[in-house]
Amino acid sequence: MSETRDLMLRSLDRIVHDTLDINARVAADASGQWPGKLWAALDEQGMTAIGEVTEGDLGFADSMALVGRAAYHALPLPLAETVLARRLLGRAGIDIPDGPLTVVAPGVATEVALTGGRLSGLARGVPWARAISHAVLAAGDMLVLADISGATSGQGVNMADEPRDALDLGRARVVASVQMSRAASAVEADGAMLRAVQLSGALSRVLDDALSWTGDRVQFGKPISKFQAVQHLMAQLAAETAAASAATDMAVVASVAAPDRFAVAVAKARAGEAAGKGSAIAHQAFGAMGFTREHHLQYATRRLWSWRDEFGGEAYWQAELGRAIAANGADRLWATITGTG
Amino acid sequence: MNDFRFEPVAMPAAAVALRSEVRTFLDKEMAEGSFKPTVGAMVAADPAFSRKCGERGYLGMTWPKEYGGHERSALERYVAIEEMLAVGAPVMAHWIADRQSGPQILRHGSERAKRMILPEIAAGRCYFAIGMSEPDTGSDLAGVKSRASRTEGGYRLNGRKVWTSFAHGSHYLIGLFRSSGRPEERHIGLTQFIVDLKAPGITIRPILNVYGAHEFNEVTFDDVFVPEDMTVGGEGQGWAMVTSELAYERSGPDRFLSTFPLLVEAFRELGPDPHPAAAAEFGRLVAHLATLRHMSTSIAGMLQKGESPATQAALVKDLGTTFEQEIPEVVRRVLPLEARFTQDKDLYAQLQQLALQQMASYSLRGGTREILRGIIARGLGLR
Ligand SMILES: Cc1cc2nc3c(=O)[nH]c(=O)nc-3n(C[C@H](O)[C@H](O)[C@H](O)COP(=O)(O)OP(=O)(O)OC[C@H]3O[C@@H](n4cnc5c(N)ncnc54)[C@H](O)[C@@H]3O)c2cc1C
Repeated sequence: MSETRDLMLRSLDRIVHDTLDINARVAADASGQWPGKLWAALDEQGMTAIGEVTEGDLGFADSMALVGRAAYHALPLPLAETVLARRLLGRAGIDIPDGPLTVVAPGVATEVALTGGRLSGLARGVPWARAISHAVLAAGDMLVLADISGATSGQGVNMADEPRDALDLGRARVVASVQMSRAASAVEADGAMLRAVQLSGALSRVLDDALSWTGDRVQFGKPISKFQAVQHLMAQLAAETAAASAATDMAVVASVAAPDRFAVAVAKARAGEAAGKGSAIAHQAFGAMGFTREHHLQYATRRLWSWRDEFGGEAYWQAELGRAIAANGADRLWATITGTG
Repeated sequence: MNDFRFEPVAMPAAAVALRSEVRTFLDKEMAEGSFKPTVGAMVAADPAFSRKCGERGYLGMTWPKEYGGHERSALERYVAIEEMLAVGAPVMAHWIADRQSGPQILRHGSERAKRMILPEIAAGRCYFAIGMSEPDTGSDLAGVKSRASRTEGGYRLNGRKVWTSFAHGSHYLIGLFRSSGRPEERHIGLTQFIVDLKAPGITIRPILNVYGAHEFNEVTFDDVFVPEDMTVGGEGQGWAMVTSELAYERSGPDRFLSTFPLLVEAFRELGPDPHPAAAAEFGRLVAHLATLRHMSTSIAGMLQKGESPATQAALVKDLGTTFEQEIPEVVRRVLPLEARFTQDKDLYAQLQQLALQQMASYSLRGGTREILRGIIARGLGLR
C-alpha cells in the first residue's frame, strides 16, 4: 500500500472515531437526515472531491480504497455516489459541481428521455436525492448532469436505512449534457464496481468484528473461537471476504480509464455472493447478540444485503457473463479468463 | 484488518509469449489425436506426452540449467501448467515429480540425488509418487508407523503406504518414515526418503477406485535398502520437509481447474443463446473461475518473490475444490444426463459422468477440506 493511501485511510479512521458516535448513526438511520458534520469533516480533508481520473491528488485505485474504507465504517453518507458521479462527469468533460452528488442507476429508471433540452421519466432508488442538489444520469446516448432540487417525488430507504428516493425527472433541470457512447452501460458498470468495492469493505469489517467477537465470547469455559466448528465458520468467512476483494481489485485494475464490463460483472457477481454467504456466517457466529438493533453488526450486514442488489444483483451480472461466453463460443472461454482473447 | 490480499500480478512478456507457444503445441497434439480432454487435473497419465513436454522445456522450468532446468520464472511455469490443465492434458506421469518431488530434491537432496534425478525429471522420463498416507494414518500424518532403521551405508525400510497415486507408473517414491522414537513422539524422528521403486522388497498392488480405475496403490516395504544420501533434508527432518512441500502442493491451478474441461463442453452443449436462468447459473461459475484464477496467479507472484503464503494457498484450495465440485452439479441441473446414459457418449457426457464420480476426491487429496480450514483458522490466529 502506498504511503499516501495509508495516511488517507488513517485520517478517515480518525474522523470516524471523532465524529460518528452512536447517536449520530442512529439519527442518520432513523430520520434520513443529512449528517452535515461528518460530511464537513471529510470535505475538509479533501476526501469528497475525488473520483475523477484526470484530476486531483488521488489516483483512481486510492479513491476506490477510500470508498472501501468508508464502507468498512458504514458511513451514512453518499461518498460512493459522489465519487461515481465525479468519475462519470470527469470522463464526459462536464464541469463538476461542488458538494455531494448522486447517480441514477439505469436499471431503476423508466422511460428516461432527453428532448429539446428537457428531461422526462421516473427514477426510483436514487441515493439521497432528497438532500442533494445534483444528479448524474444516462439518457439515450447522453450523459446528463441535472439539478434535482425540488424533483424528489417520493422518499424511501433501502434495508440499511440509506435514503433511496424517487425522482420525477420532468421536474429536474438539465445543467449539462454530453454525448457518451452507451452511456447507460457506463453508468451501470461504474456503479456496480463502486458497490463491489463497498461490499468488499463491509465484508472485511464483518470479518474483523467476527474474529474479535469469537475470541472474546466465552461458552463452556473457553472462547468460542477454540471450537473447531466456529473456526471453520471463520475460515469460510475469511475465504469469502478474500474472494470478494480479489474480484474487486481485479475490476478496479482493469477499469482505471473506463469500466471493463467483464471484470465488473465478475466483481459484482462474486462480491454479491460473498455478501450473502458472509453475512449469514457472521450472524451465526454472533448469536442472539448480533441479531439486535443495538449491536453494530447490523450496520454492516444490512448494507451488504442492500448493496448486493443495487446496480444489478448477482443474477443480473451472472447472466451477462453466461450470455457473453455462450455467444463467444465455448472454445474462447479460457482465452477470456486469461485475458488473451 | 485481517483480510488476506491477493495483489494482481502483471504477466512478464516471456510468460505471454510462452502461453501462445504452449497453446499452439497443445492444439497440435489434440488435432493429431495424441490426447482427448479429460477431467481430474492429475489423473490421466501418458509418458509419451510427458516426454514431449520435457523435450519442449516445459518441465523443471524454474530449476538451474546445471540440473537440466530452464531457469525460467515461477510465473512462466504457472502459465505453462495452467494451459495444460485448461485443455485437460494427460499430465499425471510427470506431475508430482515436476510440482513437488523435483523442487524438494533441488532444495534438500544430496548432490548425487540432484545429478542423477533432476535432469531425468526435466526430460520427462522420470516420475514420482508420494508415500505419506498409511492405513492408520491419514490427516494425522505425524502418526506414520512405517519405519526406517540404520544399516551399513544407509537405511532399511519396512511398512505399508496406501492411496499412492501412480506408484505403478513411477520410478521413485518420496516416502515419510519413522526413523527414531515412537509414533506418540509425533513430529520428532520422521525422515523422508527417495525410494527407487525397482528396489528389492517393494510390492505395488493396485487399489481400484470408486469408478473401477487403477489410479492409486498400496505399496509395501519389506527390508528395502535406501542409501545414506537418499534422504530429503537429512535424518529427522521429515516433518519440516512435508509441511513445506504441502504449501507447494496446495497453491497451484490444479486445485481449481479439475473440471474446467467439463465446463467448456457444457458451454458447447448450452449453445450460443441460452435461457436466462441457465446463463446465470453458468455465468456464476465464470465469475468464480475468474476470481480463483486471479487469486492463484497472485500466489504465484508471491512465490516468485520468495514469500511462502501457506494460509492463502489453503484458502485458494478450499475455495478452488469447492468450485471444481460445483461445476458438475450446476451443469447437470441445466443439461440432463438420463438420455445420455444409453446414447453414444459424446465428450460432454463422458466428462460429466467421470467428474460426478471423481469429484469427492478433490476435497480429500492433498489435505482434506477440514484440515485446510484448520490451517486457515491458524492463519487467522484462532489456534
Ligand atoms: C484420489 C486420491 C489420491 C491420493 N493420493 C495420495 C498419494 O499419492 N499419496 C498419499 O500419501 N496420499 C494420497 N491420498 C491420501 C490423502 O492424502 C488422504 O486421503 C487425506 O490426507 C485424508 O486422509 P484419510 O483419507 O485417511 O482420511 P481421515 O484423515 O481418516 O479423515 C476422514 C474424515 O475425517 C476428517 N478429519 C480428520 N481429522 C480431522 C480433524 N482433526 N478435524 C476435523 N476433521 C477431521 C477428515 O477431514 C475427513 O473428512 C490420496 C487420496 C485420494 C482420495
